[in-house]
Amino acid sequence: MVSSTTLLSTRYEIEDERAAQDFFHEKGWTDGLPVVAPTPERVLSCLDEAGLAPDQVIGIEPVRARPITAEKAAVNAVLAGCQPSHFPVVAAILEAMCRPEFLLHGATASTGGCAVFVVVNGPVRLTLGMEPTFNVLGNSDRASAVIGRAVRLVLRNVLDLRPGELDRSALGHPGKSGYCIAEDEEGSDWTPLAQLRGAPDGVSAVTVLAAGAPRQIMNEWTRVPEEILETFAAEMRANMLHYSIWGGNYAIVVPKQLRDRLHDAGWTKQHVQQFLFERARVRKGDWARVGKRALVTVTNRDEEHAALLSPADLLVIAAGGPAGGFGAIIPPWFGHKSRAVTTGVGVCFAC
Amino acid sequence: MHVLDPTAEANPTPVSRAPRLDSLHHRSIGLLSNGKASVAPLFDHLESLLRQEWKAREVLRLTKGNYSAPAEPDLIRALARCHLIFTGVGD
Repeated sequence: MVSSTTLLSTRYEIEDERAAQDFFHEKGWTDGLPVVAPTPERVLSCLDEAGLAPDQVIGIEPVRARPITAEKAAVNAVLAGCQPSHFPVVAAILEAMCRPEFLLHGATASTGGCAVFVVVNGPVRLTLGMEPTFNVLGNSDRASAVIGRAVRLVLRNVLDLRPGELDRSALGHPGKSGYCIAEDEEGSDWTPLAQLRGAPDGVSAVTVLAAGAPRQIMNEWTRVPEEILETFAAEMRANMLHYSIWGGNYAIVVPKQLRDRLHDAGWTKQHVQQFLFERARVRKGDWARVGKRALVTVTNRDEEHAALLSPADLLVIAAGGPAGGFGAIIPPWFGHKSRAVTTGVGVCFAC
Repeated sequence: MHVLDPTAEANPTPVSRAPRLDSLHHRSIGLLSNGKASVAPLFDHLESLLRQEWKAREVLRLTKGNYSAPAEPDLIRALARCHLIFTGVGD
């Protein structure tokens, strides 16, 4: 294990775990929920688990050239409630978020108020006991909850993204407290998301997306794939008109009931991507129907916009409880300005 | 017990402020918009003031391609000739 003398963070002496609650709240270093005291021993255990030196830079926020060191990430992971075994996943998420195409500063400071949606794939889901079925978008298990929260606390404490400071969100959404799920690989014959995005089989990986809140759909009155997916397409079109017309990475979460109907009809994730690429489109003139007439001109009204720039832009995720014809679309923060990023947990498969 | 500080802590790289201008008279002024619609009327008014009251030698108005990202390098290069730059965020 790394020696505690190598840790560089300022140390504060406090009486006990209970005093730590008031201390961190008074400093503005929490999201309002109770925290776990980040003692040197707990932080070192996280670093040891991930095999990271305290001063190792996990990533650099490019706009302000602000590094996120392994030590600072680990301090916040402990604060969020992470066990050492959770920390390699947190580190991988932060690494992915610091890739230039994610546009970390814009996505997290924007008035648009998005959150970092995380999908975990591979064996680490099972090791950590992640639960990808019941209530998957609503706090389904310990690992998902604390990993998602750790991301938020790193943004808050290391990158100063506190509401009203650098976080300029007009509304934000509940996913900002934690927006991490695992894919139900055991409950699906579909290719896992990370593998579709380049991860080798058997490798644990995370995919991050700067995303708005989930928009739930329901259609349990058909077994026809095109009809099921038309409901998803309609919700994507609604998002394009009501929020942002610009195309980019959308995610859809498909629970087992609808997933089985698609699978039984022989539809793969690629079929789903192709269908929604073709169907999730609007014309700028459609803005006039939703109160945005001021933006419609004679020259732009027939301009067609697609939710997806290509079929592969759609992140199709198998997750959710077994009963009910539900699903969700998770829209991008702002079209293609921020791109989804997939990276390995403790391994680089793109290097 | 001891607990660790979760904030960045590291001292940012020191930067110095550019020299202040004695006057705006006959200067080249850059106006860099983030691209949102509400910047335009603000900058229209500012440009009018700069030209009429301060006899600006040049008012260079540029707009970022992506209002959520830093200005593109070619915009920065073009603005380098200005004595003073205003940047505007218009929501």
